[in-house]
Amino acid sequence: MTPIDTAAYRSRWRRYHPAVKGVLCGGLLACALMLPPWPAAALVAAATLGSAVAAGVPLGLMARAAAGPLVLIATSAAALLVSVGGAEPVGWAPGGPARAAEVAARASAALGTQLLFVLTTPVADLLARLSRTRLPAALVEVVALTYQMLMVLLGTAHRVASGQAARHGYRSRRAGLRSAGALGGVLFLRSLDRARRLQEGLACRGYTGRLTVLVDERPVPPVEWAAAAAPPLLVAALTLTSTALR
Amino acid sequence: MHIPEGLLPPLHAAAWTAAAAPFVVHGVRSLTREVRANPEAKLLIGAAGAFCFVLSALKIPSATGTSSHPVGVGLGSVLFRPPVMAVLGTVTLLFQALLLAHGGLSTLGANAFSLAVVGPWVAYGAFRLVRALTARLPEGTSLSLAVFTAAFSASLGTYTVTSLQLALAHPDPEGGVLGAFAKYATVFSVTQVPIAVIEGLVTVVAVRLLTSVNRGDLVRLGVLRPAPAPVPETAPREAADREAGTADTAAAGGDDKEKNA
Repeated sequence: MTPIDTAAYRSRWRRYHPAVKGVLCGGLLACALMLPPWPAAALVAAATLGSAVAAGVPLGLMARAAAGPLVLIATSAAALLVSVGGAEPVGWAPGGPARAAEVAARASAALGTQLLFVLTTPVADLLARLSRTRLPAALVEVVALTYQMLMVLLGTAHRVASGQAARHGYRSRRAGLRSAGALGGVLFLRSLDRARRLQEGLACRGYTGRLTVLVDERPVPPVEWAAAAAPPLLVAALTLTSTALR
Repeated sequence: MHIPEGLLPPLHAAAWTAAAAPFVVHGVRSLTREVRANPEAKLLIGAAGAFCFVLSALKIPSATGTSSHPVGVGLGSVLFRPPVMAVLGTVTLLFQALLLAHGGLSTLGANAFSLAVVGPWVAYGAFRLVRALTARLPEGTSLSLAVFTAAFSASLGTYTVTSLQLALAHPDPEGGVLGAFAKYATVFSVTQVPIAVIEGLVTVVAVRLLTSVNRGDLVRLGVLRPAPAPVPETAPREAADREAGTADTAAAGGDDKEKNA
């Protein structure tokens, strides 16, 4: 399992219905994307952090997961500081810092809501409910099969790469390229082989073409819906009030 | 290159989702047909999806140390064709957003358009073109050139579309969309051009390994031309296992635990 999925299984909010968490995180995401970034982005960030602490999300992992996307957000925002094609070929953009800050704040707040959702909702919880949607059955099965196989294949990739590293497979750039290519090729062979063996095993057990999972579904109490909708509504109300007062 | 959550305005995110949707729907239709005609194909397609995800999560050597999530698009499109890749790529992107926080959920459509639609079609077009142009060259040379061009151009095509998506969302106050595109393309080319070259080289090594140990599957997938001498449709399983094991221990590294499992 990836660290994010592991944290999602351990989260205190795991037992809540994914739709409830979807309302909270989706609502906060909508606030971050659609409302004026000041003060909405700050309020969304505060609500996200508060929720993360309440859900027992490891904040260190959250920060590590955010690091990569934040670099891309910072690079994209930094590009707004300069302007090209004006009177001078390259110059400082008028109003650049304000625009860059706005984009960076909006995207960082939105990223936080995505992390809150993925760190509290295991993918398996979502997939089990996917078969009840109106998506084509073949697609749902392929998504479920992909999820079941990718963890095994990730483990294989990790073991093969450790073996290569132990044999100085990544000592030089040239060796690294060769090892990475060999790893890709071996993974293709392994995934095909695994699929064939799985097919044979399932056929022996009377596989009918469906791998459904029973979900112990309980009705969601109205108070949970209300609690999930409250933070986004509060953020929206505070932002709109402060904008109107200005 | 994945656009993170929140970097595109909602209207742009919706428009890119609408742009990617026909390709994904077409892919799902052809996948449904394939599964209906051939039920065991489902497991192979699932395995291919897992393969694409793991490839995209691999760390490969690059100019700035190591870099993750390249490799997949070029190799995947050559092996599985663009319509299937539109579905597999989108599924991969969904899992990347949910399991690795690479790429956002609201920007899933935009990322699917660049990584699962444009990248695979560019790769496949380049592959077919170079294969046709180099038909007189020896099979190995022609295949290596075609695979390198496919992976290289898929990587560059993807990053060009991502730059365009960001430029449309955040146009330059003076230079407009074109000026913003120039800015983003220049900034990202510092990392993306070396990654594209490395991705091309790594993909060539992977396909050369597959050609030597799993020719039957590559012929079946249409990557290799059938040899004049009769080639078995699928290599016997024991031989494939033995060859994979050899490749694994000789070039790729031992994995005894996996074998024993």
